[in-house]
Amino acid sequence: MNPSELTENFFRHEYGRIVSVLSCRVGVQRIEDVEDAVQSALMTALESWTVRGIPENPSAWLYRVALNNLLGDLRQKVGRTKILEEKVAHEQESTAPAPEAFLEGEMKDDLLRMLFVCCEEGIPVESQLVLALKTLCGFSIREISHRLFTSEANINKRLQRARKQLRQLDKDPTDLAYLQKDNRLPSVQHILYLLFTEGHLSTHEESALRMDLCNEAIRLTSILAEHALGRTPDTHALLSLMFLHRARMNSRSSASGNLLLLEEQNRSDWDQADIQEGMKQLAGSAEGETFSRYHAEAGIAAEHCMAPSFKDTNWTKIADSYALLEKVAPSPIHRLNRAVAAAEAHGPTRGLEILREFDPPAWLTMSYQWTAVLSDLHLRAGNLDEGYRHKETALSKAPSEAIKKLLERRLSRKPE
Amino acid sequence: MSKTNYLCVVRSESGGCEKPSPAEMEQSFAKFNAWREKFQDNIVDLGAPLADGGEVVTSESATDGPFVEVKEIIGGYMIISAESMDEAVAVVKESPGVWSPKSSVEIREIQSH
Repeated sequence: MNPSELTENFFRHEYGRIVSVLSCRVGVQRIEDVEDAVQSALMTALESWTVRGIPENPSAWLYRVALNNLLGDLRQKVGRTKILEEKVAHEQESTAPAPEAFLEGEMKDDLLRMLFVCCEEGIPVESQLVLALKTLCGFSIREISHRLFTSEANINKRLQRARKQLRQLDKDPTDLAYLQKDNRLPSVQHILYLLFTEGHLSTHEESALRMDLCNEAIRLTSILAEHALGRTPDTHALLSLMFLHRARMNSRSSASGNLLLLEEQNRSDWDQADIQEGMKQLAGSAEGETFSRYHAEAGIAAEHCMAPSFKDTNWTKIADSYALLEKVAPSPIHRLNRAVAAAEAHGPTRGLEILREFDPPAWLTMSYQWTAVLSDLHLRAGNLDEGYRHKETALSKAPSEAIKKLLERRLSRKPE
Repeated sequence: MSKTNYLCVVRSESGGCEKPSPAEMEQSFAKFNAWREKFQDNIVDLGAPLADGGEVVTSESATDGPFVEVKEIIGGYMIISAESMDEAVAVVKESPGVWSPKSSVEIREIQSH
């Protein structure tokens, strides 16, 4: 095989796939041994492939080497205990050449199964996220810490908590019946949603790193949406909103790296393939009675993607969708967004009314988003004093230079 | 001008270095392939990494080696051809340290007469 035929992120994705398959075989309790075995298999590949070239079926090659590493390691560690004999004895024969058509379907099954394992109930959500990034996406602890913008020590702590929880389970956490018994799909969807929003909503300026998280979320959600365990309307809605947001991600900043307002973005830069896939998934989400927060969010993203311009956006529909979103997933942020959309549809006074109708929590009123929206609406409504006062506060709370510049531009527009 | 073969001995510090992540390995692999493509006319034998441990034989005895107290151990070799030592150095300088990030390469001309 030619090096250029290897797919992008081949090493990282193979890592996730093989770790999943082997963990499902020998037990998630041994996940650290499994990860070591796969890591060394990749090292061996690096040494061997550079000299001898890439084998015809690199996935099968890696799997075989990783399995042999693991068997050797387990034999040494466990000796001839029962677990080893029961779980691994029948694997011995696989030291013979693996079947050429390597079980692609089985790999996907196991990857999905591991995704469900990561969402084990006793594991805190922030640890679930790290466990998924480590085992399914093949990121190292350092790489995860860069992507989640926190310290390596923190990531390590979260990972250890997850592994400890898995070791303490008295049931086999990969058992399909066990995974299906408690309805775990919502947690799986939630973790994928978090993975995506960590990348999409982060205010951090390293856009390539953020894009990585979005791409991984889309990869895993696509697998979920194709599988009997996860093929539900809300999974399709989730996948739809991911595609529709990713379509617009690269146009959120200018060539010089400045953040751009929605009305300043060049709509022809939006990724049409992503928009198409997003709309297809949205259509697939419309079956049955379910209406989840993912449906509402995908609907809003679709309105933006379909609008020919900022002015010709169906703001009324977007405001209505935010109202629905507030119902299925109450959050003051959704209220704030509804106010912004309603102000575009019916004028700034309507937006201010919506914000006056509720008691915002302190964390929101302290945020730059809240004060920036208030400033904008007041300025547009002609309440200049209030508008400028909020503008000062918003600028002082901006988390980065890029956002500060964006706010300055947004809040210096001439009144309509 | 005819070309001469050079033996390149790769030495790396024993142990200690952090394992590369899959993404880093993919980068190394890409860099290595680009290097091999660029210098395909200079590469005679890409050699191979060497297994750990071994024997050191003298007229008196054979002992386990290489000695663990040696800081750098030989990790691999390759043979390249070049018109001069300068060219050989240039080829090796551009080669990514795929075996280990902390490695050095000794280049020796193979005398053919």
